[in-house]
Amino acid sequence: MTASTPHPSSDAEIFDRGYRSYDGPRNGVGTGMFSVFVASVQRALGLRRKFRFKIVPVATIFIAYVPALVFMGLAVLLPAEIADELVADYASYFGLLSIAVILFTAFVVPEVLSTDRTSGLFGMYMASPLNRGHYLVAKFGSLVSLMFLVTLFPVLFLLVGYMVNDIGPDGLIDTIEVVGKIMLSGLIMSVFFALLGMAASTLTTRKGFASAGIVMLLIGSGVMSGVLVESGDAPAWVALFNLGGLPFDVITRVFDASIDQIEGVGTFASVGAWAGVCAVCVAIVVFGYRRLEVTK
Amino acid sequence: MRWHSRPMDIAVVDSVSSPPSVISATAVSKSWGSHSVFTDLTVEVPRGVTGLLGSNGSGKTTLLGMLLGLHHPDGGDLRILGEDPAHAGPELRQHIGYSPEHHDLPDDVAAQDLVRHIAQIHGLPRREATTRSSDALWLVGLGEERARPVGTMSTGQRQRVKLAQAIAHGPSIILLDEPTDGLDPVQRDDMLALIRRIGTEFEIDVLLSSHLLEEVERIADNVVIVADGTVRAAGPISELRSGRGGVIVQVADRSAELASALRSSGLEIDEQRDRILVGTTEAAEDLVDAIRDAVAAVQAPLRRLYPVEQSLEELFLTEVHDA
Repeated sequence: MTASTPHPSSDAEIFDRGYRSYDGPRNGVGTGMFSVFVASVQRALGLRRKFRFKIVPVATIFIAYVPALVFMGLAVLLPAEIADELVADYASYFGLLSIAVILFTAFVVPEVLSTDRTSGLFGMYMASPLNRGHYLVAKFGSLVSLMFLVTLFPVLFLLVGYMVNDIGPDGLIDTIEVVGKIMLSGLIMSVFFALLGMAASTLTTRKGFASAGIVMLLIGSGVMSGVLVESGDAPAWVALFNLGGLPFDVITRVFDASIDQIEGVGTFASVGAWAGVCAVCVAIVVFGYRRLEVTK
Repeated sequence: MRWHSRPMDIAVVDSVSSPPSVISATAVSKSWGSHSVFTDLTVEVPRGVTGLLGSNGSGKTTLLGMLLGLHHPDGGDLRILGEDPAHAGPELRQHIGYSPEHHDLPDDVAAQDLVRHIAQIHGLPRREATTRSSDALWLVGLGEERARPVGTMSTGQRQRVKLAQAIAHGPSIILLDEPTDGLDPVQRDDMLALIRRIGTEFEIDVLLSSHLLEEVERIADNVVIVADGTVRAAGPISELRSGRGGVIVQVADRSAELASALRSSGLEIDEQRDRILVGTTEAAEDLVDAIRDAVAAVQAPLRRLYPVEQSLEELFLTEVHDA
């Protein structure tokens, strides 16, 4: 270690620790993608960032768990027979998560995707061993994982609470079935909203526009299809255009919760609509990113 | 052109029997829509520090983009470290460092986190990435500032963060796009000295683009001048400079006799106020003997006799404006 020549305009000295080239083994693209995954999750949750960046994600996640705590409280306080009637089942809890999921989609997804384009980081990724495909897969993975925080995990949390209070599933087979259904439902919801958010964030580099667009799309499509269905003139399948409610409808079919299902629409149509929206979003993202020029 | 005999030390290159140049282009063409950037780009870039010179809009950034595989050439053959960047796998780019032209970096990410992240993406294990990103930031003079968010940094500091992330993963070659853009004169000196050091002491080949001749002249071994879609001049700076310009002879007296003697021996001369420029285009070495003989013949009292060192700027102006 040597101190180099002092800076001519100040007393400061550059402390020189030298440089070592790296000749060791290098990890493949998979590890690089994992690094993007980790960085995205950290960014979205405001980790290693100032306090104000933590508020929205923490508040949203909080909203997702509060009802679960309330239901668990009810289960503790009330006798099992009454509690069983009163507390939400797993399918309807996914419905209760809507607000948290909409907020999360609107404010967290654009943060993960749009900022890379405005910050120049996307260009630096493209100059690295990663290509567009690697990048998008890593981003998608991080978003689905983040979505689990407000879809899958709250319901698993609820399940654990119910089981502790003896109103959960009985026996191993039952438990496995319920856990499986919850995981499938979490995936249905997470993939759908992650892709929807990615599509919106692909169309604009402005985070604000993407957030506003997502909220307007989810709420607007719900109101529009609701009005049309209520008026009685529209066919039942119009209700599937309620994008915020569509994955929930698919989930009710996973749990066979017929009460919450859209009347007059078959499971096939519901799942088809879900897959169709996902496919359109994938197309928007892939096409948008393929066209995106990295000039600088 | 001078070739370095040092063997290339990475696996990617071993497989293609050690090419003499780190970058080679043969008849590369590229256009954006109807705008043609390169029509016929042919050049060999040897090891060492190479300056890529051209006026704004001459395609320097496009060339760097093609070397990174971001853009595909329309035609011709382009190679970096012996591989075709448009079709090579990710392993090639693990050995290339890149510092973009823009100063935009993620605002609220600490410099150290950013540099480590880029190093990990280039294949370094986490522990190595952490130590080397820290070393790189110390090297560029941001050791004390490494935990600071990039958004709070000045342009000079951002340029240094960009340089740090380009070298932290131990690349074989770094591509620097206008690395001194936005720096004040003192920062520019520091940056150029650092780049020179990276190219010599650390043995990383450097290709830096610039529209400023003076800085390339100061630190580069070789220069590539691009203009009008093609390479106007390329080679070691010393050769490009001394290979032309002739010899200046200055005598205390009998200047007119000397001039006519030189003219009669078939040399092209240009009489200036108190000196004679001999052989305006030929290489200096061949002329000196002839001039000495002429001076002896007319018995002129010789004051000075020296080859004209053409500055890169003159070369640049000649090459770009004669185009």
